[in-house]
Amino acid sequence: MTGNNQKWLEENTFHHGEFWDILKLVEEKEKKGLKISLCIPTLNEEKTIGKEVLILRSELMERYPLIDEFAVIDSGSTDKTLEVASNFGADVYLASDILPEVGDKRGKGENLWKAIHQLKGDIICYVDADISNIHPRFVYGLIAPLIRKDEVQYVKAFYDRPLNYSSGLRSSGGGRVTEILIRPLFSLFYPELTNIVQPLSGEYAARREVLEVIPFPIGYGVETSHLLDLYEKFGLEAFAQTDLDRRVHRNQTTNALGKMSFGILQTFFNRLHAQGKIDQMPNMETFYRRFEVDEGFYNQVIQEVIEEERPPMIDIEGYRNRNQ
Amino acid sequence: MTIQSMAGGMTLESLLKDIPSLIKSLRENRETYLTDAVLLGEIPAPTFGEEERVRLALDRFRENGLDNPEIDEFGNASGILPGKVGNSTILVMAHADSVFGPEVRHVLNVGSDSISGPGIADNAIGMAAIVGLPKLLDKLGIQLKDDILLLINTKSLGVANLEGSRGFLETKQRPIRAGICVEGAEQGRLSYSGLGALRGQINLCLPSNYDWNRFGAAGAISHLTRLVSKVMEIPVPKEPKTKMVFGEIHSGSSFNTSPKSGILRFEISSEGDEVVEEMEAQVNELCEQYSLETGLEVKMEVVAKRQNCGIPFTHPLVKTTRSIMSEAGITPAVDPSTGDLNSIILAGHPGVTLGLTQAENLREANESIKLEPLYSGIAQMITLLRAIDQGLCES
Repeated sequence: MTGNNQKWLEENTFHHGEFWDILKLVEEKEKKGLKISLCIPTLNEEKTIGKEVLILRSELMERYPLIDEFAVIDSGSTDKTLEVASNFGADVYLASDILPEVGDKRGKGENLWKAIHQLKGDIICYVDADISNIHPRFVYGLIAPLIRKDEVQYVKAFYDRPLNYSSGLRSSGGGRVTEILIRPLFSLFYPELTNIVQPLSGEYAARREVLEVIPFPIGYGVETSHLLDLYEKFGLEAFAQTDLDRRVHRNQTTNALGKMSFGILQTFFNRLHAQGKIDQMPNMETFYRRFEVDEGFYNQVIQEVIEEERPPMIDIEGYRNRNQ
Repeated sequence: MTIQSMAGGMTLESLLKDIPSLIKSLRENRETYLTDAVLLGEIPAPTFGEEERVRLALDRFRENGLDNPEIDEFGNASGILPGKVGNSTILVMAHADSVFGPEVRHVLNVGSDSISGPGIADNAIGMAAIVGLPKLLDKLGIQLKDDILLLINTKSLGVANLEGSRGFLETKQRPIRAGICVEGAEQGRLSYSGLGALRGQINLCLPSNYDWNRFGAAGAISHLTRLVSKVMEIPVPKEPKTKMVFGEIHSGSSFNTSPKSGILRFEISSEGDEVVEEMEAQVNELCEQYSLETGLEVKMEVVAKRQNCGIPFTHPLVKTTRSIMSEAGITPAVDPSTGDLNSIILAGHPGVTLGLTQAENLREANESIKLEPLYSGIAQMITLLRAIDQGLCES
């Protein structure tokens, strides 16, 4: 792995435990005059939204005033999501009511995008609504690098997903789509972005000035597009990532993941096209990059994967002559 | 809401009058304790394995500015909320341990009017009411004259024999005016006496040379059921009130293999200590007899034992508690305790156990509590604290 990658990993990869002193974070935030907004995009999340609002609001607004504004932006839930969220004190908005002149599109990305208009914070933190083991670390772990390091623009979450303990190492990989689709694609076209451990995680925080200059896919591609667009504009230095330990959430069916992959591929190829990488396909990388964690250190493992090919058998003289 | 307690010499009537507004304020400030209930409740804390949950309680004690926050040699977390005068101390406690092991998924769900998940009623919400008390009193503008000693105690359930609370009260050299034990459920519970009780375990084991051809030969499950039938023949007196409960039975591993060992757990509780002694001797004798007749190893082990203790029904603490419950719209149900109240009373302090709210599926994975009754449940606890502080519960 290159020295730059290792340096970035060492300097821009955090663990939420480094930011346990929330009071100190509040002081630093106030000193810098920053306002912070928290947005939870929802669609039929009545089972988990109550706990998220209760804990995050109580711990990060009441006990420690780290968050200045807390909004749930909903895509038109038909269950009790809005009632429960509002019961526990969240500001609740329907995405369709925000900027009505631009129309209403249905998808998580729409809610995230409209949050930029609706919320006032200098930093916006997005947290998915389906986290069953919600904890304040899911928010302060993402906001802290932005408060501490002025050069960081966008902070991504990653989690402990215990997939492989047998070797004594645990895979620090993402979900199935990350490992099967995103990491191979990034390894081929954007090797530096493979430093992001979980590119599809739904929790991230960013400064307003970067969020307002990038487009937002409405559906599954929003996380991928953020990485590609911000990387194109600001380079890897704009990113940081925080280990938030374990995240418990719904498991998705393979069919749902297939649909998700299809959406992500559209976004990905749009970027390749826009960045001139489709018309003039670069030489494809042959190094596959993934992560392992060993005793708290994140190591990028690089393997050369060369897909050599054999010609059609009919082209082989020995084959053609075998019956003669 | 601001409630003035400091204009000394408040009457019970004036405290009772505050209850409706107190309930309203507790509803408005529910985040203060509900958040702690979820955060504490999602940390597994089986009896003897409460460390992580107690550590969070201690952090909260520190964050809430208690004096002397500490974890003692028994693993209990305690801290002192100093009173305006501080001449005496009121103990308020809740146990940290739960019946659920670490293998159970400790995820709580928060709805508009309920919270559900393993251990929320017993006793995450009880702990949260204690842990959040300093912040609540501050928000409510209540300042007491007495110091309040807050205790999250360990090792309360099952075989632990109240080790946490007993250890704390035996070693804590602090004069205590009165104690309140807080349980999440069931609202209306009023315990002012500790029931004499014995928790026993019968271990039954087939010897390695067990003769399966012998008349009456059978596996451990059959033997345990025969033994239960015999134990059930022991007369259980109506006076003094006595109860025998078979709580757990463990044996076997598959459909078609005769198990070679088994365990039966039971509790005898009685208002008469001599009855407990007598029944213990009878069960012991039965085990011995069964062992000799069958060639099995059958042994009874006493894992926990406690004596009858209590304060009278006419004690001002009980009387005042009943008045408070009635004003809060709670119907009292007198229920002798076999829990931590025994430690308080046996240490020579008057005390009661209160339940905060209504629960369903208690001690099941889908245990749940209702939120609306909780506000009056916590109001009764705070009002009782104020009454003790005002000297309205002294004999």
